[in-house]
Amino acid sequence: MHIMEGFLPWQWCVVWWLIAIPFLVMGVMELRLLMRKDREYLPLLGVSGAFIFILSALKLPSVTGSCSHPTGTGLSVMCFKPYITAVIGFIVLLFQALLLAHGGLSTLGANMVSMAIGGPLVGYGVYKLLKNTPVNIYVTVFCVAAVADIVTYVITSFELALAYPAAVGGIVASFSAFFVIFAITQIPLSIIEGLVLALVFKYILQLKPDLIEKLGVFSKQQIESALATSTDVPEKKV
Amino acid sequence: MFENRKLEILTLIGLFAFVILFMIISSQSGHAFSGSDDVGSEKIAELTGKPVESFTPLIPQYVPPSGEIESTLFALQATFGGVVVGLVIGYWYGQKKRPIGS
Repeated sequence: MHIMEGFLPWQWCVVWWLIAIPFLVMGVMELRLLMRKDREYLPLLGVSGAFIFILSALKLPSVTGSCSHPTGTGLSVMCFKPYITAVIGFIVLLFQALLLAHGGLSTLGANMVSMAIGGPLVGYGVYKLLKNTPVNIYVTVFCVAAVADIVTYVITSFELALAYPAAVGGIVASFSAFFVIFAITQIPLSIIEGLVLALVFKYILQLKPDLIEKLGVFSKQQIESALATSTDVPEKKV
Repeated sequence: MFENRKLEILTLIGLFAFVILFMIISSQSGHAFSGSDDVGSEKIAELTGKPVESFTPLIPQYVPPSGEIESTLFALQATFGGVVVGLVIGYWYGQKKRPIGS
C-alpha cells in the first residue's frame, strides 16, 4: 500500500500532507490528554500500537500472485479512536520510510491518509454502526479490522488514480487498474487480519474487561455476555 | 469441549485455508510474489509511459543496500511489536493471578 518515494507528483504530496497534518496534531493533543488522565491505559495503547508494527511488517502472499501486508489498525481505532491511531500509524510509516525505503517522506502524507487515517476512519464508522446492535462483539472486531485493512488499499488505489488518470478512461480506468493490484490482493489478507485481531481482542477482554469498559469500547452487558460464552471457567460476579 | 474455542478454531481454519490458497497459487507458474507496492509502481510507469527508473525520490532517502538488510529491519520492526505485546499480556496475566494488595 505504500506509495514509493518519487512516485507521486509533488502537488499531490502537498495535498495529502495537508489533509494528514490536522489529524496528527489532534492525535498528539488527544494522546497528551489521555496520558494525563490515566496511566492505566498505557499498556493497552502499547498493545494496539504494537499490532500495527507487527502486522505491517508481515508481507503475505495473496491470490493475485503478489505480496502485501495487513495494517493492524482496527484494534487501535476501536480503543483509542481515529486521531490517536493516526499518530501510531505515522510512527510506523515514518520508520518504514526512513529505514526501509517503503514509502518516503514526500509520500508519507498520502500513505498516512490511506493507512493511518482513511482506513481506520471507515473502520471506526463500522464500529459505530455495529456497536449498539446485538451483533456479537467479536464479529464487530472482525468487521472493523477487516474493513480498516481493505479500505486502506482502496484509498491507495484512489490516490494513485487521481495522480495518474489513464489516457483512455481517465481516473475510473486507472482506479480499477490500481484496485486490482492493491485491493484484490488485500481481500484474503484482511479476512485473516480480522480473525487474528478478533482473537487478540478476546484475550484482552479476558484479562482486562474493566479497561475496555472504562474506555467505553463496549458496554458492561456486552462484555459480560461475550465473556460468558468464551471463557472456560465462568467469571465470579463481583 | 470446543464450545468456548470457536474463535480459535475459526482462526485456525482461516490460516489453514490461507496456506492452502498460497500453495495452489504458487504451484501455478508465472507468479513472482513481488510486493504489491512494486507492482503498483510498475503500473504507474505503464500509465505515464515513463520507465520505473525515471521516478527519482523527491526527498533523498536511505535505501537498504540488500534484501538481507531489509529483512533484518523488518524483523526488528516485528520483534519490537512482539516484545510489547508479550510484555503487556504477561503483565496483565500476572496482575489477574495475584491482584495487588492481596
